[in-house]
Amino acid sequence: MSDEARLLAELHAARALMRAPAPAPRIGHAALWAHATRAGGGPVDLAVVRALRTDPDTARRYRILLAAQSIAYAPLAAAALDGALLRRRVGPFALEILEGTPPLLILRGAEARPPRTIEAWLGDAAVRLDLPPPVEGAIVLALDPVVPEAVELGWMLRDPGSAVFLL
Amino acid sequence: MTGGYDERCAADLAAVGEGRDLSRAERAWLARVVTGAVRPNRDRPLWDLAHALAALAQATAAHEGRDLVTLALDPGLATAQACAARFSGSEAADGRGLVLEGEPSWHTGWAGLARLLALAEFVLTAEDLGAFGTVTGWLDELVAAPDAAGAAFLAKRLARHLTAYRNAHLPLAREERRFRALLGFLGGRRAFSDADILAFWQAGMAAGERPGFRTVAEHFVTFEAGAHLVDGLDGLSSAASLDAHEGWEDRLDAALSDLAAAEPAATLAALLADWPEGPKILTGAEREDLSDFLRLEPFHRTRPLTALRAASFGRVQSGIANRLRRNGGGPDIAARAACTEAESYAALTERASELAAHLARMLRIAAALRLVERDGFSEKTRAALDAAEADLRRVRRAGFEDRAGLTAGFAAAETALLRVAEETARLERALATLARQHPLEQGFEADRAVFAAALSAAYAGEAAA
Repeated sequence: MSDEARLLAELHAARALMRAPAPAPRIGHAALWAHATRAGGGPVDLAVVRALRTDPDTARRYRILLAAQSIAYAPLAAAALDGALLRRRVGPFALEILEGTPPLLILRGAEARPPRTIEAWLGDAAVRLDLPPPVEGAIVLALDPVVPEAVELGWMLRDPGSAVFLL
Repeated sequence: MTGGYDERCAADLAAVGEGRDLSRAERAWLARVVTGAVRPNRDRPLWDLAHALAALAQATAAHEGRDLVTLALDPGLATAQACAARFSGSEAADGRGLVLEGEPSWHTGWAGLARLLALAEFVLTAEDLGAFGTVTGWLDELVAAPDAAGAAFLAKRLARHLTAYRNAHLPLAREERRFRALLGFLGGRRAFSDADILAFWQAGMAAGERPGFRTVAEHFVTFEAGAHLVDGLDGLSSAASLDAHEGWEDRLDAALSDLAAAEPAATLAALLADWPEGPKILTGAEREDLSDFLRLEPFHRTRPLTALRAASFGRVQSGIANRLRRNGGGPDIAARAACTEAESYAALTERASELAAHLARMLRIAAALRLVERDGFSEKTRAALDAAEADLRRVRRAGFEDRAGLTAGFAAAETALLRVAEETARLERALATLARQHPLEQGFEADRAVFAAALSAAYAGEAAA
């Protein structure tokens, strides 16, 4: 066999890899994926939630998974002059906050499937909310001041440093 | 053990192996697919994977690529039984496993599917998720047209993807050169002796390559484990097209199980490296000595002379290499190369016996700790357990004074202790047989002359500097 030396080298590397002690990540891919694709309001794995807050590497891996299954995402927004933000683009979607009581989050875009969930990240904090179905091409979500997640989402979206995932 | 991969690759494989709790045979399969040690065509598993994903897309009426990602990352599909339970009875299954409509020659069994899903997780998550989005996008395209053509297209993409990964993380050129030299040296022979290993190392030293003796011995370990596999796959190598070979999977399975049998259930090196915390059953120095003796598994029982050479002169050579790397420290190069500090075979053999005796004593103590209720045992067994108890009271080591902690510690270390003790006993027996055939002192002096000459010549430049 002409490539016998090559096959032996490949076998040698495979055997060495079997012997190489390598650390596996504390939170595995499966657990992170389950968290990224969870249904809104469903149970969450507290170990995952804790790791996302305390371990930057787990949070980085999670955001990769989240981005890959998002319809659209934006890691950062172009900052407005005063630093506060009322309007930003997330992929093919325009996202706008209409100030008022309560403030309204408005999403417009022409994708085949409208997003069902929005998740925003700022630093090591994350918040996820389910979105209602679109009416006449726009999704409208009231950022109800008595719902802490809604308040936090509004606060994050106004910060250009926040990452936004539409799922 | 040496080379041919980087840390990224080891970590990527470990994540999949741990996450799915794969058996050693399955890990071995995955490692071989990743390194490319599959014939007749190293891309064949990716061809199978692409077809399996197309069949799964049909079977589950997947809407998006991420539906397939969910299947690929699901540790609940890590076994043949789980795959059979989930997918048999679906339209993409026959009595034996998965089939793909429109590709009658393709088929995989449930065990094959479980392995392919592990490979799917690897290609998705490799490079620490570096290509996760890209591969997910490819799956989106497959789901849109989950037919034979879509599968073939995905197979090509995955093959390119894994080839790029190998180029980045599996530097095999040097290993390949070594094996080509080794094959040339043996001139078509499959059998080799301790003398061949030494002569091949000498040739490498004389040629200025300065391979480590331990490294050379490790290449011979792989050659021995892989030689029969190379022969077994010869018959498969003539046609290398991807979809050729009826019954390919079954034949490869047979060849792979041979290799899995040649691989130990758990490597001694890994057992010693991951020794559980707890009572000092083994000190750090004892673990180091054992690692040194057992690192060339299975040569410690089949080629004890090579194991002795590696432990004695291999250590001298690593000392020289370390000193050159650190640029100083300890005896100078010339003194080291003369091998005056090399540990004699008699001393090494005695240390191996002491370690074997120590491990045997620890095993008896483990039994005494475990068997608290002794009424049903024979007089003789009870006497042995009492002797172990007496032994236990004589041991002066950290953690041996607290009975409850000691019992828990021994229970945690039991598997590792059993195997290391067994292999050390085999080493001791192999060394005793060797000593009967060749007087160790004479053998050591003869070898010292050989190693000193080779090392002094090879490191003459640095010794003079």
